[in-house]
Amino acid sequence: MTLQFDIHAAGALAPGVGSLADLLALRRGEFVMTNTATALPSPQSLPANERRRASQVVRLTMACAEQVLRVSPFPVDSLRLVFASDEGTGEVCQQMLETLATTRQVSPLLFHNSVHNAPSGYFSIAYQSRQPATSVSLGKQSFAGGLLCAVSEALSSHQPVLLLCYDPAMTDPMHALLPVSSATACAWVITAGDGPVISTLALARFALTLRPADNDEDDLLPSWLPLAWTANSSALGLAALGLLDDKGAPGACDLRLGAQRMRLERLDGATAC
Amino acid sequence: MLGIGGYSTVNAAGVDNAGSWDAIATGRSGLEGNALPWCDLHCWVGEVAGVDDEALPEALAAWDCRTHRLASMALQRNHFRDAVAASVARYGAHRVGLVLGSSTSGIRTTELAYAYYRSKRRWPDDFAYRRSHSLDAVCRFSAQLLGLLGPMIAISTACSSSAKVFVTAKRWVDCGLIDAVVVGGVDSLCLSTLHGFHSLQLLSDERCRPFDARRNGISIGEAAGFVLLDKQAAAINFVAGGESSDAWHMSTPHPEGLGAQASMDGALRAAELSPCSIGYVNAHGTATLANDRAEAAAINAVFGVGAVPVSSTKGVTGHTLGAAGITEAIVVIQALEQQVLPPTAGLCEQEAGLCLDALTQARGARLHHAMSNSFGFGGSNCSLIFNRAD
Repeated sequence: MTLQFDIHAAGALAPGVGSLADLLALRRGEFVMTNTATALPSPQSLPANERRRASQVVRLTMACAEQVLRVSPFPVDSLRLVFASDEGTGEVCQQMLETLATTRQVSPLLFHNSVHNAPSGYFSIAYQSRQPATSVSLGKQSFAGGLLCAVSEALSSHQPVLLLCYDPAMTDPMHALLPVSSATACAWVITAGDGPVISTLALARFALTLRPADNDEDDLLPSWLPLAWTANSSALGLAALGLLDDKGAPGACDLRLGAQRMRLERLDGATAC
Repeated sequence: MLGIGGYSTVNAAGVDNAGSWDAIATGRSGLEGNALPWCDLHCWVGEVAGVDDEALPEALAAWDCRTHRLASMALQRNHFRDAVAASVARYGAHRVGLVLGSSTSGIRTTELAYAYYRSKRRWPDDFAYRRSHSLDAVCRFSAQLLGLLGPMIAISTACSSSAKVFVTAKRWVDCGLIDAVVVGGVDSLCLSTLHGFHSLQLLSDERCRPFDARRNGISIGEAAGFVLLDKQAAAINFVAGGESSDAWHMSTPHPEGLGAQASMDGALRAAELSPCSIGYVNAHGTATLANDRAEAAAINAVFGVGAVPVSSTKGVTGHTLGAAGITEAIVVIQALEQQVLPPTAGLCEQEAGLCLDALTQARGARLHHAMSNSFGFGGSNCSLIFNRAD
């Protein structure tokens, strides 16, 4: 079963990476990764009250969203949203577990920030968008699961979809369970089928094919991405964005999705960046 | 339109389809004063009988946690496995998908493990985060139990989670990825949600009373539910759904219910139906002051003031959070089957100004189309429309 979609804008956020151009330069070996933390600026798009209260994962998703919206050809209030993460509120969840194990005096802020869809809730408030938002998860296969949801939603709604996939860094003690040491995120703005007619060219067209997996092997990161990001579900989304590099080869990647395998193949030769 | 090929519900009011419907149709509440040994909050809870004694199938014993026990109860009752096995035989295991919703997954297990960690400075030997608390755990557990190999995803959008599963599943069938799909949801009682809603001062000190003038909050319940959907239409069908965001506040609905209106309007548009064709709305109806006012305003704006029969069944099941969408979708399916509109348990005198045709008694009806509403934190809204073919 093959579905086609176009990507119109992309964002990348990771240690030393603040744009798609940075990511593609990393792929070409044009700069060496330094051991820096991911830059997470205070989200300017949020009202002051929400900005002050923003957790790490909200700053992460808003920073990646702001980045991709600067280059998206679609108005933000026309984008349907798919947010995908392995454990998207892990650090907030850990604070809540600590509270429940001690005073049990959970704060309202901590509680509503603990839901998996908190980042998409903040996004809709920041941009005053009533577009549907769906927050999904499939462990370390969350990027593939999110992409499948985004492409099928673009096809059936005839609207552009913003897919954000992200992993906030975890601290001890839950870092032992979820060894995400650096926050990473990627953003894809896509259309499919009879999507809206736009004046700008797409960055690239992709074919997405699902077939039964023939083995149980986990996905490995390509050698141009740091091994330290292996625990990050969004690193596979950053790897897939590497397909936008014209000078790179090959033009396809494979992603595990439960008992299925998703093949993502770039169809055209359009140049990114 | 997707045909309903089977369903199974387990909640505080009943541990099988017939028992649950009997309680819901007669307004017999499954809520009890909180006697959980691990939670001392003064509130009412909907605890499913027998969860503590439920054993998972032996081959899946490593996945043990309260949510999977609830899921296992639902998956193994009401001939649900037989219905799924028939779809697998017809289409192949790779062509049957799985889309499940949960708000907190197996967090109750992590609450216990975290308390252990604080005292011993190490995690319990038998604690397996990936097989209990990880949001995808219930998908992987259910796929193994049912023998499914199709695409899967977990949706977690708080209290709309297991309503939105229908909409995502329909997209996957519509674009040809799969021929049939199991949708569902599960959430168990846990400290996180009990103390979380307590912090918001939203836990009622009596059984919750949706739309009542004297309502003062929610009663939390636990539940699991599953529905088998097929690309072939059937006697009862999922027609279409609508989704929206409030863009207002993280834990309070838009006061005029503008997001709720958008999801109901979206469902009607997607189903190509006019408001007057809907014969019953199973409301989100949590019994908080804010939700019931906003939802009543939205229902009246979409359907006309008092123009459609409405009930909330949360006085019977409790608010089952991430499982509320599937639990109430099954109520609507059963209402279409039985041609009976269920009452709102706990509703004595409707708050002046809500102006709903809120059912206080079960009502017989010629019901062809019905809607279920689910709204969640983060302003996540979903409305589903089901129909009866004849």
